[in-house]
Amino acid sequence: MHSILTTCPFCACGCGLYLHVENERIVGVTPSKKHPISRGNLCVKGWNSIEYVRHAERLREPLIRKNGKLVKTGWDQALKRISHELLRIKKKYGGESIGILSSAKCTNEENYLLMKLGRAILKTNNLDHCARLCHSPSVLGLTNAFGSGAMTNSISDLAGAEVILVTGSNTTEQHPQIARFIFEALDKEAKLIVIDPRRIELSKFAHIYLRPRLGTDVIWLNGMMKIILDEGLVDDSFIKMRTENFSEFRKFLARFDLGQVEAISGISLEDLRQAAKMYAGVKRAIIIYSMGITQHVSGTDNVESIANLAMMTGHVEQEITGVFPLRGQNNVQGACDMGALPGMLSGYQRVDDPAVLDKFSRAWNTDLPTAPGLSSMDMLHETGRIKGMFIMGENSMLSHPDMKNVRTSLENLDFLAVADIFLTETAEVADVVLPAAAFAEKDGTVTSTERRIQRMRKAVPPVHLSKPDWQIIIELARHMGYPMDYESPAEVMEEIALLTPIYGGVYYDRLETVQGLQWPCPDRNHPGTPYLHKKSFARGKGLFSCIAYRPPDESPDKEYPFALTTGRVYEHWHTGSMTRRISILKRECPEGFIEISTEDARALGIINGEPVKVISLRGEVVTRARLVESLPAKTLFMPFHFREAPANVLTNNAVDPQARIPELKICAVRLEKVT
Amino acid sequence: MNNNIYLPQLAVIKDIKEETGDIKTFTLAFKDRKFKKSFSFRPGQFMMVSVFQAGEVPISISSSPAQPGILQLSIKKAGSLTGKIHGHKVGDEIGVRGPYGRSFPVERLIGKNLLFVAGGIGLAPLRSLINYVLDKRTEFGRVTILHGARTPSDIPFKHELSRWPKERDAKVLVTVDRPDSRWRGSVGPVTTLWNKADVSGQDTLAIICGPPVMISFVVMDLLKMGFSEDDIISTLERHMKCGVGKCGHCSIGHQLTCVDGPVFTYREMKKLPTDL
Amino acid sequence: MRRASGKGDLMTDKLILYKEHLNSFLRKITKGFELIAPVRNTYGDTLFEVISSVDDVSIDLTNRPILSPKRFFMPQVETLFAYRYDKSGYTFKDAADSTPRVIFGLRSCDTRGILFYDLIFQEGLKDKYYLDRRKDTILINLGCNQPGENCFCKSAQSGPFLTYGYDIQLTDLGDRFFVETGRPRGRELLAGWSYFFRPATQTDIDEQYEVVLESEGKFRHRLDFDAAIDKLINQEVAPAIWEELGNRCQNCGGCAYVCPTCYCFNIFDSPGSEKEGERLRTWDACTFAGFSRLAGGYNPRQDKTQRIKRRFYHKLFYDKQKYNIPSCVGCGRCADICFGRIDMLSFIRLICEQENKVSEPAHRKLGELLLDAGLISQKDLDLAIEKQAATGHATGRFAVAKKPLGAQLVEMGMVNKEAIARTLGYQLKIPGTAENVED
Repeated sequence: MHSILTTCPFCACGCGLYLHVENERIVGVTPSKKHPISRGNLCVKGWNSIEYVRHAERLREPLIRKNGKLVKTGWDQALKRISHELLRIKKKYGGESIGILSSAKCTNEENYLLMKLGRAILKTNNLDHCARLCHSPSVLGLTNAFGSGAMTNSISDLAGAEVILVTGSNTTEQHPQIARFIFEALDKEAKLIVIDPRRIELSKFAHIYLRPRLGTDVIWLNGMMKIILDEGLVDDSFIKMRTENFSEFRKFLARFDLGQVEAISGISLEDLRQAAKMYAGVKRAIIIYSMGITQHVSGTDNVESIANLAMMTGHVEQEITGVFPLRGQNNVQGACDMGALPGMLSGYQRVDDPAVLDKFSRAWNTDLPTAPGLSSMDMLHETGRIKGMFIMGENSMLSHPDMKNVRTSLENLDFLAVADIFLTETAEVADVVLPAAAFAEKDGTVTSTERRIQRMRKAVPPVHLSKPDWQIIIELARHMGYPMDYESPAEVMEEIALLTPIYGGVYYDRLETVQGLQWPCPDRNHPGTPYLHKKSFARGKGLFSCIAYRPPDESPDKEYPFALTTGRVYEHWHTGSMTRRISILKRECPEGFIEISTEDARALGIINGEPVKVISLRGEVVTRARLVESLPAKTLFMPFHFREAPANVLTNNAVDPQARIPELKICAVRLEKVT
Repeated sequence: MNNNIYLPQLAVIKDIKEETGDIKTFTLAFKDRKFKKSFSFRPGQFMMVSVFQAGEVPISISSSPAQPGILQLSIKKAGSLTGKIHGHKVGDEIGVRGPYGRSFPVERLIGKNLLFVAGGIGLAPLRSLINYVLDKRTEFGRVTILHGARTPSDIPFKHELSRWPKERDAKVLVTVDRPDSRWRGSVGPVTTLWNKADVSGQDTLAIICGPPVMISFVVMDLLKMGFSEDDIISTLERHMKCGVGKCGHCSIGHQLTCVDGPVFTYREMKKLPTDL
Repeated sequence: MRRASGKGDLMTDKLILYKEHLNSFLRKITKGFELIAPVRNTYGDTLFEVISSVDDVSIDLTNRPILSPKRFFMPQVETLFAYRYDKSGYTFKDAADSTPRVIFGLRSCDTRGILFYDLIFQEGLKDKYYLDRRKDTILINLGCNQPGENCFCKSAQSGPFLTYGYDIQLTDLGDRFFVETGRPRGRELLAGWSYFFRPATQTDIDEQYEVVLESEGKFRHRLDFDAAIDKLINQEVAPAIWEELGNRCQNCGGCAYVCPTCYCFNIFDSPGSEKEGERLRTWDACTFAGFSRLAGGYNPRQDKTQRIKRRFYHKLFYDKQKYNIPSCVGCGRCADICFGRIDMLSFIRLICEQENKVSEPAHRKLGELLLDAGLISQKDLDLAIEKQAATGHATGRFAVAKKPLGAQLVEMGMVNKEAIARTLGYQLKIPGTAENVED
């Protein structure tokens, strides 16, 4: 038996764990104790992360559609077919008719290579991945305000905070290790403010808990800032030295009517005042937010408002103070870093910047498309523009809003190829399916929510005929006539480092430590960066933006009287393709459900565990009712992990006009008893 | 291989009887002759039944040990695993290991009047004991059997329920929660049968099996009737994985249902911290 | 079992091994056994590892390995047997592993953990998988000269040195190890290579005694297990504390996974293809909701609070009742890693040290806290207590406990759940594990 250190495949906390291997099988997990995040423990998913690797339903060999059915084929035939079809579509309709979805579950190297394949060979900037659905507003909003879209500090900073404000993040369930640091801070007398429509577990420990109505974040944020201004709690010297446009913003706030706060958000002004004072009244305060903030048509507005709040109180640019957008996937940060985005190459270098283009064209020895491409929302929700797609390790069918519409788009494609570890709902409609290797079967790097670049290490060989995605992409490129000669992911990283300033000093030999490197790491001698914007913001001066309230796209009405919000549960991961194949997790949470407040349930005569039908404008789903105390009246919650009760049949695909993120956090539904 | 407590014995399904819409009785025969010969059990014990690819589930034996060579399991479709068992046909193989658990205290019953109270599928383990008792009818006093079912079509072992009074001098009373138009028997919970049953705590042992709520109501009444806590015998149901006292799932306090139970006297049960 | 090839005689059961000979001795062991020892890897973590070449690894006798060596006896994921179906029916392939092993450098807590496993897997029907692995394993215990930050094995009566149960026990005397042989196979192992050892002198024996005494005085934590167990027996831990512990539990299972004595496991089938598969067992934890949930959905331990309570009752009281010792060996691993500090160390300190705060009846306490916080009036409280008194009745197993005051207040609309949770959360603060420690 031997042990291999790798990085957990689930959330972006990025825990270090050892896999114990015997006879090419993983027989156990030990959390790393020296690792700055795992510190000797994992959440239930991490501890049980190994079972799906050998699951019988892993894809065994490439599949190709013949007479409407997916049948086994060889690697060569499968790759030839993909290459042929995508090149044909490119020739006939142009590169802009091809869409590529990369994966926040895959390594940096794989994301980089797929991005390169898309741009250099297929000449398309229609490149995206699931960050579109989680933190595209953070990337955009925080880049606008600070110059960088990433979490400003390190996770461990939380333990030293005086005040932690958590909004739109169910931290104990979704980022358990981060919650562990919050508990540490609380034990050291820190104050906790939780602002969330759901009375999440963390609210039990909150000194102040505020419950806004769904989709009213800009209102309470502006209200809070107005109070801070009125109370004289702004950090004048910080604002003067480090930021710009505050005078405009001050005028904007002056015009803001505090009277509307309670009416729109439901938060009493007095409570908000307490919270504002608590947050602004200390030196070291941290805002944690997640998809409760971003998954709205006002996602970018919400994020920019949070940036305003942090800047006006001087709560950014230092150790132990900052803005923490908690990323979801193990490598969603890295997939963004690697340029799996329609407008950016690796390291957030813009595709329309001539100097950048020149650099990449020369390195890649080919010309590159210059116009920013389409987001995944545009690729998957409008039929006709995209003719062919390659999807690596994403299950868009279940994760995107308005499932019916996504299905139609995917089915209307001329050609769809999917590489994944299981036959996901998305792979089921593909023309070619490639069996990919799982996390324990390949080498590479992933980047956690705190910009920590860490190694993923191969512990066991890929099952059956599956291959790591980086090999798949290299072979596909060769079939397309473009040589990619990398012997290993380490060699890919050498190229990334050369072309990507924030990864400039990232080399595999430097990653042979338990803590990896935090970007920006511009050169070989740079130690990495625990917190951003030291001394000055990445964009120079922090920018205040005046943000007006934008209501949700869809609100409850007579016919659809409930507001439905969606999210995740502690035991499962996204579309469930991994966690629902892990016995302990399956046992803990076997099936989908919809949460409803006890009062609403009583009014409808619904009892706990009873099947109910949930209906929105877009579709209907039958699932079981779970009566809870944590929801306000007329509000429902549904996790989206469950294919047999897919929440995203119901959700709205209206998007934030800037970040193109869909409004997954609110849509209007009606509830019926199933007889 | 006999020294491996987790390895099931293979048994062939010889017969399947549909008792109700969701209860089937499977008659099994072990493949291994030696094992078949050596196999013995006592009423109240259970077997761990394997459905390969799906897992194992504990099932009480419903046949009588007085009929050697016969092993019957009456299984109610409750989850996916029991559902899969129901999908089996005659001639199929399944895995079984056991018998496990503490049985009904058969020796203590000798010479006593016996009151059996069953709810739903709870009649299955009692059937094992009832048939054992009735096979040795002379060794026991009066035998009264009360059974409560949801509806008339949910009554299992109908044939035996009607045979026992006729052939074996046992009083059998059945009640249902929801009658249909042709039901002429009692309606209501099993406790509505007390009047007709005419029981007293005198020289009588009560053996109860059914859903927890039913058990608790029956026990309360029996105590009022003067039954001593030692003379009330029942069973507890817990989630089980190994069946042999190792895996910890069926723990109640310091005891394990699979080893220290599933049969307990009421005096023992009372002491169990049922939620710990 | 392969025995050591050399033949030799040990004059005594107390010996000396010079540290300069340790690697040579271990190298000999690797020739006849699979050697397992704590290894510090290049990332700085210490884990028990199988050592094929003694000279290529850094054996770490200072830091406690992250997990106990229990995974070598019951791996986290273990194949019980493979099954296959064909025309003639099912056939099984039994997995077996009886490699002779030597585990070197276990601490007393971990040795005691294995002894507890022995108890569980040997009593009643024997667990072949465990016993196969265990029967040819020799345990070389290393007494602790320097207990770790969260160690409390002395309080748990399982260290820092053992008086029984080891095959061989070492004591670090600086330049040499004092070697005691316990069970016969330990003696046999040493006899094979007697030339590495010399008999201990009276000076060595005295010195070893000094080391034992000194190390016993070095513990930062002294916990009164008996007092804690008494409190559990007498149900003196306030419901509010259980509630708070339940809230703080993040349901990771880590406490059970890292515990050297937690043995609960799950069994399930893992299909390989249509016709074949494996029956596996994996580590399980009683803090998981699904652990006790029945197929129909009924769960005797539905709430996190009940499950946390079960865990502590089991490890402290029930195992003491059953086996005469609590199943906590005081290794402190749970205290190192618990997200919410609901570990054994914090728990025993909480219930024993916060005497004044927690020993009064919980409902009184809660009432006063709420009064202090200005959340209810005295009149409300009196009314609620009066109502509460009328709830519940005591008839044995089906007894209905008196409704908790909190629930009564919520039901009467006097205060909401969050206010109660918040009030309790602050007041019943769990004591620190590392700071504020006084002996």
